[in-house]
Amino acid sequence: MQEIISDKNWNKLGIYPIVDEHDIVKVRSIVRQHAKDFRMGIVEQTRITTAISELLRNMYNYANGGDVVIESGDIEEHNALIITCIDKGPGIENVELAMSDGYTSGMGMGYGLPGAKRLVDKFEIYSEPQKGTTVRIMKWK
Amino acid sequence: MENNLDFKNAKERIEHIEDVLSSVAAGDLDKRLQTDIEDDLTGIEEAINILIEDLTYELKQSKKMKEELEDKLNKIQEQQKTIVQQQEDLLELSSPVTKVWDNVLILPVIGTLDSQRTQIMMENLLQKIVETGCTIAILDITGVPTVDTQVANHLLKTVTAARLLGADCIISGISPAIAQTIVHLGIDLSSIKTKATLQDAMLFAMKKNNQLFEGKIHLEHKEQEEDDK
Repeated sequence: MQEIISDKNWNKLGIYPIVDEHDIVKVRSIVRQHAKDFRMGIVEQTRITTAISELLRNMYNYANGGDVVIESGDIEEHNALIITCIDKGPGIENVELAMSDGYTSGMGMGYGLPGAKRLVDKFEIYSEPQKGTTVRIMKWK
Repeated sequence: MENNLDFKNAKERIEHIEDVLSSVAAGDLDKRLQTDIEDDLTGIEEAINILIEDLTYELKQSKKMKEELEDKLNKIQEQQKTIVQQQEDLLELSSPVTKVWDNVLILPVIGTLDSQRTQIMMENLLQKIVETGCTIAILDITGVPTVDTQVANHLLKTVTAARLLGADCIISGISPAIAQTIVHLGIDLSSIKTKATLQDAMLFAMKKNNQLFEGKIHLEHKEQEEDDK
C-alpha cells in the first residue's frame, strides 16, 4: 500500500467538501456530468456514479465527511477521470479485510469498497489508523 | 485693513467652529458655519461646511444600505423557512402509496433515496399494507438514478418488512445500466421479485391476483361441496 499523491500533469476539475448527505447527492451529479463530458455511455456513467456514491457514503458514515478531488489525466495511455476521496477519519485497520466481499464494520452490506473497485478501471486505497483514508478511483472510456 | 483678522472676533469665530464641530460629532448634522464675512477664516469655515455636507450624505447612504441589507436578510430568512417547509412537504409527497387495483399497491420512488426518505417510504408502505390488506406491493424505481449498496440495502429491508406483514413486493423499473451496476457491486437481489418495467410488474400482479382469487373461489367451492356432503 502506497501513499496516494496527485500527478502534477493532471488537470484539476474541482474540489468539493462532503459535510452532509446533500453533498453526496450534489457531488454524485457533478461526477455524472463529468462522465458525460468524457463521452462515457450510460452504463459507464452509472458505474462511476455508483462507485463514487459508495465511497462518499463510507466517508460520510464512518469518517464524518472529507474532501473529494476530481481530476483528469493520462493513466496507462488513457484519458481518465480521476476521483480522489480524502478523509481524516479513524482509518481502516485491515485494508485487505475491508476490501473483501461481505465484510462490514458497520450497518452496510459489505459490498461498498470491493463493489466500487469492480465498477472502475483502476482503484487505489491508502489508510492509516487514527489518521484517515484516501481512496482514488480512475475510469476511462 | 478690512481683510485682516480682528483677534477678538477671530477667537469668537474659532470657538463657534469648535461648537459646531462638537455638535456634528454628537450627531447633529443640521448645524452649519456662517460664511458671510470674507476673510482668512472663511476658507476653513467653507471647507468644514462641505465636510459636514459630505458626511451627512455618506451617513444617509450607509443608513439606506443598512436598511436594504436588513430587508434582504429578512427575505433570505423567509426563503430559508420556505425551503425547509418544502423539504418537509417533499418528504411526505415523495412517497405516495396508492392502491391501483384490488389487492395491489404501488409506490413510485423518484429521486435520491437518503436514509430519512427511505424511512418514511417504508413507514408509509407498511402502514398502507395494514390499512388496505393488500398482499401485493409494487416498488417502481424508474425515477431513481443511482442504486448503490445503501439504496439496495434499504430496498431489501423494505421488502423483508412488507413480507413480515404478509405482502409480496415486486421491484420494477430497473434500467439495464443499473442492472449491470448492481451485478458488479456484488449485491444479491435474487430474493426479490423484480421486473423491468412497471407494466410487467402490473401484469405479474394481475396474474398473481387471478390465481389468488381463482384459488379462493375454488377453495370456497370445495368447502361448499364438502358441506353439501
